[in-house]
Amino acid sequence: MATTATLTIASTDIAGDPVTVSKQATLTKAGSSNDLDQSTGLNRVHLRSVTQKTLLAANAEGNDLAAKVYIINKSDDASLYITVAINAQTTGKLYGGDFMFIPWSQTDTDASIKVAATNWTSSTGDIPVEYALFHEDTDFLTNA
Amino acid sequence: MAITNATIALTSDVTDSALAVSNTTELNTAGTTTGVNTMTSVTKVLSSTAQADLITTGSVSTTHAYVYINNPSTDDSKFFKITIGAHNGADVEEIGRLYAGDFMWFPWDVDDDITCIPSSADDMTIEYMVFS
Repeated sequence: MATTATLTIASTDIAGDPVTVSKQATLTKAGSSNDLDQSTGLNRVHLRSVTQKTLLAANAEGNDLAAKVYIINKSDDASLYITVAINAQTTGKLYGGDFMFIPWSQTDTDASIKVAATNWTSSTGDIPVEYALFHEDTDFLTNA
Repeated sequence: MAITNATIALTSDVTDSALAVSNTTELNTAGTTTGVNTMTSVTKVLSSTAQADLITTGSVSTTHAYVYINNPSTDDSKFFKITIGAHNGADVEEIGRLYAGDFMWFPWDVDDDITCIPSSADDMTIEYMVFS
């Protein structure tokens, strides 16, 4: 079993010549070539909270293990954003349509991934957010 | 303004029903439909396991940027801890570890530096791009 992630960045006019970057990664366990074999699958929530909500709770046993997180703000409104934080550290804002794909260390149980619909109001409508986690875990048997 | 697109494709057969996700976003300035117009592309070779200041807030003049970081190594044992927070500060948070061949892509609020810690004092190459 395998999970691959491919990112392509392309622009014809951000520089004097066209720019294209394409990178594919096969997601593997920490420090090995064995494939990651656990996944939450794709999830969808509708955010309507300006205060932080835990999207993915850190498992301290995940420290030193590999985990990859995909999050996308599915709003069609470019001005509506969600703020993404790990523990108390904000990493950035996902505006409507934006996505992120990061490794996640889960250094301890405080290292949860939290999101907030910071500029949400009752008139903006909910912000749909989709996410997936691919990981390894010592609590569950694996096949590798 | 420039038009820059980022596309991600995820495929996985970890679950019985395979997962296939593909999305494209246009990289815009904060909360607008105006494209970003600045790009930085850097390759560094680090030769120490000390924390290194990879991308400083002073290198970006906006409060919203998109960051791509890549570990081009093919050696499974060579990874970078990617952290965010003040360089050598007490409040540094480890985001994750980029193992050989891994990349990451995320929005950055340009509040704190992005730093990295190589797993080895051997020469280790790290690449990054910033769009803002």
